Amino acid sequence: MTVLGYLANGLVFSSIIVLGSIGLSLVYSIADFANFAHGDTMTIGAYTSLVTFGAVGGLGGAVLGLPYGFFVALVAGIAAAAIVAVGTEKLIYEPLDVDSIGLLITSIGIAFIYRAVIQIRFGSDFTRFDLQPLRPIESLVPYGVRITLHDLAIVASAVVLVVGLHVLLQYTDLGRKMRAMADNPDLARVSGIRTKRVKLWTWVIGAGLAGAGGVFLGLFNQLSPRMGFNLLLVIFAAVILGGIGSVYGAMAGGFLIGMINQLTPFFSTVVEALPIWPGWLATALENLITIEYANAIAFLIMVAVLLVRPNGIAGEGAT
Amino acid sequence: MSLLDDPQGALDDLTRPEGWVLGVSVTFLLFLLVALLTGALGPTYFLFLVGLAGMYALLSLGLNAQWGFTGLINFSVAAFFGIGAYGSALMTASGSPIAGGFNPLVGLVVALVVAFVLALLIGIPTLRLRADYLAIASLGLAEVVRLVVLNERWLTNGSAGLRGIPGFFAGWPVLSTFPEAMPGLRVEVIPGSPVILETAFWQASLNVLLVLAFAGAAYFVLRRAHRSPWGRVLRTIRSDEDLARALGKNTYSFKMQSFVIGSLIMALAGVFYTHLNLYVGPGDLDPITTFYAWVAVILGGSGSNRGALFGGIVIVTIREGTRFLNDVALPIDPAPLRLLLIGVVIVAVMRYRPQGILPPQRELIWPSAVDRGGTPETPDTGVREQKGGGDDE
Repeated sequence: MTVLGYLANGLVFSSIIVLGSIGLSLVYSIADFANFAHGDTMTIGAYTSLVTFGAVGGLGGAVLGLPYGFFVALVAGIAAAAIVAVGTEKLIYEPLDVDSIGLLITSIGIAFIYRAVIQIRFGSDFTRFDLQPLRPIESLVPYGVRITLHDLAIVASAVVLVVGLHVLLQYTDLGRKMRAMADNPDLARVSGIRTKRVKLWTWVIGAGLAGAGGVFLGLFNQLSPRMGFNLLLVIFAAVILGGIGSVYGAMAGGFLIGMINQLTPFFSTVVEALPIWPGWLATALENLITIEYANAIAFLIMVAVLLVRPNGIAGEGAT
Repeated sequence: MSLLDDPQGALDDLTRPEGWVLGVSVTFLLFLLVALLTGALGPTYFLFLVGLAGMYALLSLGLNAQWGFTGLINFSVAAFFGIGAYGSALMTASGSPIAGGFNPLVGLVVALVVAFVLALLIGIPTLRLRADYLAIASLGLAEVVRLVVLNERWLTNGSAGLRGIPGFFAGWPVLSTFPEAMPGLRVEVIPGSPVILETAFWQASLNVLLVLAFAGAAYFVLRRAHRSPWGRVLRTIRSDEDLARALGKNTYSFKMQSFVIGSLIMALAGVFYTHLNLYVGPGDLDPITTFYAWVAVILGGSGSNRGALFGGIVIVTIREGTRFLNDVALPIDPAPLRLLLIGVVIVAVMRYRPQGILPPQRELIWPSAVDRGGTPETPDTGVREQKGGGDDE
């Protein structure tokens, strides 16, 4: 594959990570805890849309290689993720009388419950959406870019959702309230913002985006009950890289981490090609920069960012 | 306050949750005893379960030294457990890709040394971080360790894992041949259903003795340490790190000490697991092991060593109970059911009893100060001198 090919793959994967990381970052700043159930919220979205798509079928026409029914399923996945998240907030998180560390630990329990329920219902095997696998787009193949119409649909939908969120945050009343709350919850409260309601909307938006990310992840790879939990740490890496609490930082972080993740095989060819390293270092790097360690590299970047620049590359938001 | 001197008084002393735990434990033990005598539960399997419970108790004790004492959110329990297991397995297993064939004691030492190094490697960067960042970073680093174990085939044999591991007592003078030397026993308590004790049983009982020795040693060391001036500094750090720093304590150093001690105990659990299971694979480094230990600690009560022991037993009950349920009553796959139970326990504890079932109360006070009712005595000799010399840094 060429550089362009890796970049294209990176773009697709980044779109999924960005959708996940925005939600995690929003919840981190407004509900004020690291939500370990976020990955499994993505899984909920994916499996709901799997069931919905199986029920409604194709519904006639298709856009970007995806039948209309798939978009219905996508909306169902987003809605299910949002509803489950709001229900969890109302039933579990809100009545709790613990600090943010206690909430973090509770969210691990929630994550296990989500995953266990899905696994009991669907088994632990991999499944796929009932869609015809597409061939890569012919006109792009000469450039070494092997992406399908489905991949394009993922990127396009992610862009629509991200732009929509941007408009919501910048130009609507709710967005202003959310930004105020992320900035200083107490001040937001005394100035008359109904913080509880804003918090609920945060869950709706964050979990909804996660649900969409989960559906696309299922389209990009496969569905399995562990899909979300396996991606969770990568998303945390993206959020931390971008700076916790900063939505735009999360977008940038998600983009970078997704790119780095998919560009790892390219980096390893670069290391092989460059003759400047001394022999033992080159061998060591060649062994370590491989596709198996793509996630590990993201985690190491995360720890490095936490140490050197805990506010992330955006440098705002974190308090 | 000894149970033997004054059973009635000792019972009256118990708080309500303590009474509950005691009652449930006694009932559970009776139930197991009946199952054993009727032959429903094989004695060898029972001892295996006891060994497993001891292993989880060790893991929880280790985590308790980090989270319960000092408030470090360490989500890399599985990494230390796995490193302990792999360290000893690589040294002792006949199928080991590197050394192999050493005495298990060598494996024990190597495993502890490797875990010590790993604790420093993980601790040095992460212990300065805020609590929730520490959680995420340590989970990430544990995953890095798991990926390395999974992918470096020349070192760890990759996903195939390691086989051909001897028992812990292989090569010891008497104990190595003890299981074979013991005669097969036939115990018939209830007529018609004899319980037969064979070589495997004696092997398993040796393992139980081993884990009792490990867990007992860890328990007494930690209990002693928790009450010492060192333990008090850790508790201060847990409740208010700035305060501890204002009092002139080097909190980073204290956190590192508690992190290393906890990690070594977790590695000890891994060493025991190696010789109990006789097989080690990368799946043993799955994050779920970390969360088993966490459930045990928060259920038992953060900072409470006996709570950690209790939590370890509960974990084994959940783990093996779901398997048993699947065999007997409900045809549900035990893996997700286990996950569900763990999740429900976490949420229920945080909701209804965030301090855990057996929170530390009198555990933290010198017994002499409680019993005599009067002026607290000077603690045993040694503590004062230690405080003068070796307490700070």
